[in-house]
Amino acid sequence: MILDPVLDLFRGKAVTIPPLDGAFRPNTRLDDAPAFAELTEPDNLLVADGRLLASSGNAIHSVAAGAEPVVVETFPSAVTALALSPSGELTVGLESGKLLIGGSEVSLPAGISCITALAYADDGTLWLANGSAEHAPSQWAADLMKKGASGSLWKRDAAGGDFRKVAGEIAFPYGLHPVGKDVLVSESWRHQLVRFDGATGSRSTVLTHLPGYPARLSPSADGGAWLTLFAPRNRLIEFVLQETHYRQDMLSQVPPAYWIAPALASSRSFLEPLQCGGIRTMGIHKPWSPSRSYGLVVRLDQKMQPQFSLHSRANGTRHGICSVAEKGGLLFIASRGGDCILSVATGGF
Amino acid sequence: MSFRERLQSWRYNLVPDHVVGEILTKRWTDNAIPFLALVATLATFGSIIPGFFKLTALQESTRQLGEFSMVVTGMTVVMLGGGIDLSVGSIFALSCFSAVYVFFILEQSIWLALAASLATGLIFGAINGYLVGYLRLRAFLTTLVTFIFGRALFDILVTTYAADVQLSTATSDVLDFIGDSTFWGLSVSVWLAIILAIVTHIALTRSRPGWHVLAVGGSRRSAHNAGIRVRRTVFMTYVFSGFCASIGGFLIACRLSGAGPGTGLNLEIMALTAAVVGGVSLGGGRGSVIKGLMGAIIVLTMTNGLIRLGYGTGTNQMVLGIMLAVAVTIDIRWLKNRHKVLNEVYVAPVYLKMGETQSAAPGSGTPYELDNRLSVAEHIGLGELEGPEDVILDRDDNLYCGTRHGEIVRFFAPDYVKSEVFAHIGGFPLGLAFDKSGNLISCVGAMGLYSVSPEREVKRLSAETSRSWTSIVDDARLRDPNDCDIAPDGRIYFTDSTKRYDAHDWALDSIENRATGRLLVYDPKDGSTKTLLDGYRYTNGVCMAHDGKSLFFAESWACRVHRYWLEGLKAGTAECVIRDMPGYPDNINRASDGNYWMAWLGMRTPSFDLSLRHPDMRKRMTRRLPQDEWLFPNINTGGVVKFNEKGGIVEAMGDLTGGAHPMVTSMREHKGYLFVGGILNNRIGRYKIAGADPNWTSPASYWGAKP
Repeated sequence: MILDPVLDLFRGKAVTIPPLDGAFRPNTRLDDAPAFAELTEPDNLLVADGRLLASSGNAIHSVAAGAEPVVVETFPSAVTALALSPSGELTVGLESGKLLIGGSEVSLPAGISCITALAYADDGTLWLANGSAEHAPSQWAADLMKKGASGSLWKRDAAGGDFRKVAGEIAFPYGLHPVGKDVLVSESWRHQLVRFDGATGSRSTVLTHLPGYPARLSPSADGGAWLTLFAPRNRLIEFVLQETHYRQDMLSQVPPAYWIAPALASSRSFLEPLQCGGIRTMGIHKPWSPSRSYGLVVRLDQKMQPQFSLHSRANGTRHGICSVAEKGGLLFIASRGGDCILSVATGGF
Repeated sequence: MSFRERLQSWRYNLVPDHVVGEILTKRWTDNAIPFLALVATLATFGSIIPGFFKLTALQESTRQLGEFSMVVTGMTVVMLGGGIDLSVGSIFALSCFSAVYVFFILEQSIWLALAASLATGLIFGAINGYLVGYLRLRAFLTTLVTFIFGRALFDILVTTYAADVQLSTATSDVLDFIGDSTFWGLSVSVWLAIILAIVTHIALTRSRPGWHVLAVGGSRRSAHNAGIRVRRTVFMTYVFSGFCASIGGFLIACRLSGAGPGTGLNLEIMALTAAVVGGVSLGGGRGSVIKGLMGAIIVLTMTNGLIRLGYGTGTNQMVLGIMLAVAVTIDIRWLKNRHKVLNEVYVAPVYLKMGETQSAAPGSGTPYELDNRLSVAEHIGLGELEGPEDVILDRDDNLYCGTRHGEIVRFFAPDYVKSEVFAHIGGFPLGLAFDKSGNLISCVGAMGLYSVSPEREVKRLSAETSRSWTSIVDDARLRDPNDCDIAPDGRIYFTDSTKRYDAHDWALDSIENRATGRLLVYDPKDGSTKTLLDGYRYTNGVCMAHDGKSLFFAESWACRVHRYWLEGLKAGTAECVIRDMPGYPDNINRASDGNYWMAWLGMRTPSFDLSLRHPDMRKRMTRRLPQDEWLFPNINTGGVVKFNEKGGIVEAMGDLTGGAHPMVTSMREHKGYLFVGGILNNRIGRYKIAGADPNWTSPASYWGAKP
């Protein structure tokens, strides 16, 4: 009604989020899929030399069907990003802010301390997403709850040399997908995909109002891309983001695991926040109930528009998906909240 | 505590925000807007116009008011029946003319003139009623046609006979009395209006035809389905309206001793405005005669006042139009949004700083440490039961529990596979207790305290206590009776958890956290119920101490257990024995080893505890988010805690997987087993207690060995 803006001053404006509809219509495909391998908090997936590599904590594992994951390499701190150069060198970003290419450390400009994603373009250009200027990758929740927007995008030419800052003030860039000279970035805290011009760094939004926090992007066989959303948008969290005093007290007085914030897995401790809809009633946890964690993988077509999606709903366990990799007609999905890697045949969609 | 926090605690604990919501639940708030408008109108014109309230001026306006309010009463009845009558002005005028014609031109008696006047009104009303009620034409267009036709007829008649009326010499004392005199200080027209209003009000609110009118106006189809003769009812409303208008017409004929072209002009607009401004809904079914009268006074004061201030007819019409527009808008918006406003303002959170608590997390090493023991409990009635809040066993080992369908279900010993509905009470049976003679006493949520005899006879023991002086919503009614226990002398001590929310909305009370829980006692000797304690944050479980000299009761949202003394030096007082627990306590029951079992319905979370110190945040949350998204205490994990006579914690157990017993609201020890219930669960758990006395039963503990 015409008076709504006036009445909102008294009654409070409703907090709304995009519905799970259209290409985001919920299903249980992720929970139905068999576990390909059990691995604690698998983060990045990468196909190298026909092998599937998965990072978990400080180590990179090689994962194969019917076998225990094998440790390929360990590092002094947690692995936060993986990429493979056109020449086959493994490129690894670490929690400590270090970057290793083919096992040797690369000196980085002072501005890079939070490597969340790495990607090589076809011409060998290395793109690097620096999630935040203030927080390490593992402290992403603090960056979100402090409304951080200090992330930046960097690139290094194929010929080598230093990293050059392409753009700044990005609200947690979490995924990279090079498209020709440009790059597609998932800007997590703003729930959108943004395309940055490779030469000028100017930005243009590609996909907005995502129903979750986008994480990494990876190419699909037909020229489209796979987008993972590591946590759902939640109206209570969005409300808390607007509540300055409560949020500040929460940041300073409540342990991070029990914040009202998105999570990779939830309902593991009774100290976590609970919303009314999430109450177990008559033995049932409603799948549509509000949740801090969710499992969501979205298929984008060549124009980067969503086509369909795979879900693990509020009552599921395959939550916190940060990375997927497509290999030989199979899509591998790493669920950090579910401690497993799933495989789904891409032909079945 | 920071300055801001201190301000918050003052603002939200000292200002009674909840009063607004409670007032809005009252039906009379519908009358508030017209009443305020009435007061404002009278005050405005009374202060602007000197001598507005002078007796002579009032006498003239009240005469006018008497005629006008009769027309409005008729209009109100038509509108209550879901219709509208635009022809009241022309019926009024024609009735006036009929009376004048019979009296002055035919020179008949005044009573014949009255009869002619009434006949005119009834005939026109019947025409309207027949067309609208039986032929089911549109009320608006039909009465518009009658209005135009009646007006035209009146204009023709008036111009034809005006001169004859002037020349007539007919006089009557009765006519002069009705037109000019007063009776006990009020004119006849006012008396008639008052009588008509009272009769109509009684008829509408206390008689069958009146209820039929309201039912038809509220929902025509439902009324038809209920067997009401809709068409006849509608017909009668128009006849009544015609009748009212004709009395008004007769009165003005007496007052003016004639009829002129201005008689009854624009009366339909004024009457309609009066009814709507008074708060009679255009949609039908909502409103009252009193509202119509208030509207009549407002409209008449306004028009007369404007005339006396020197404004012309144009301004008057304009003001009427604006009033009608505003009233219609308010009427529609208010009706549509009242419940939304109520929802938004009802939850009025208060400030509370919870005390530091010991951790209950596994591995924390505190006495509260929860484990997974309850997850292995055998289940009883899985999938058949819904909401066994409390469980109890009789002397023959049979198991009883309440369900959310308002039933008490009995499971038969020894295997508890077969079950039957023991009794149907209604409401939501919560706490259970057996008295000395084997009657099952139950606190029934939303109803009261009930007793079920072994022969399954259901009897209400108590549904109310005395009302407190400052209550707005009647707090004598038991809103959420929760748990009970019986003293050795037979008196039943029970809790009523909250005055603010109904039983099924119990969890909402945690958001608000207002201290309105009570401890009450029912005395079977004289059937009286007394409030013992008031002002606790959700009083819950009650358990008589083993020696019967005191009782324990739980205060859920404050995470405390209190002891209330029945005898001794501290009789009649309560003291806190366990404070700052990490979980929210529910029912309390005796254990075989001389200790007590206490259920935890949920666990405190740091984020919720913090929100209790931010009442403003909680208030905005309830306004800006739908209820499913609200932050709740974690009631997906509960447990069972054993404590001793002094309030020391002995042990705690739980089901951290949440698979079998996420929320625990009750437990009862019986022959070495613990029976576990949950208000949102679909089963009863049966858990073997290591080292418990295999012969101990609760009935024996309370009432001695089997007689």
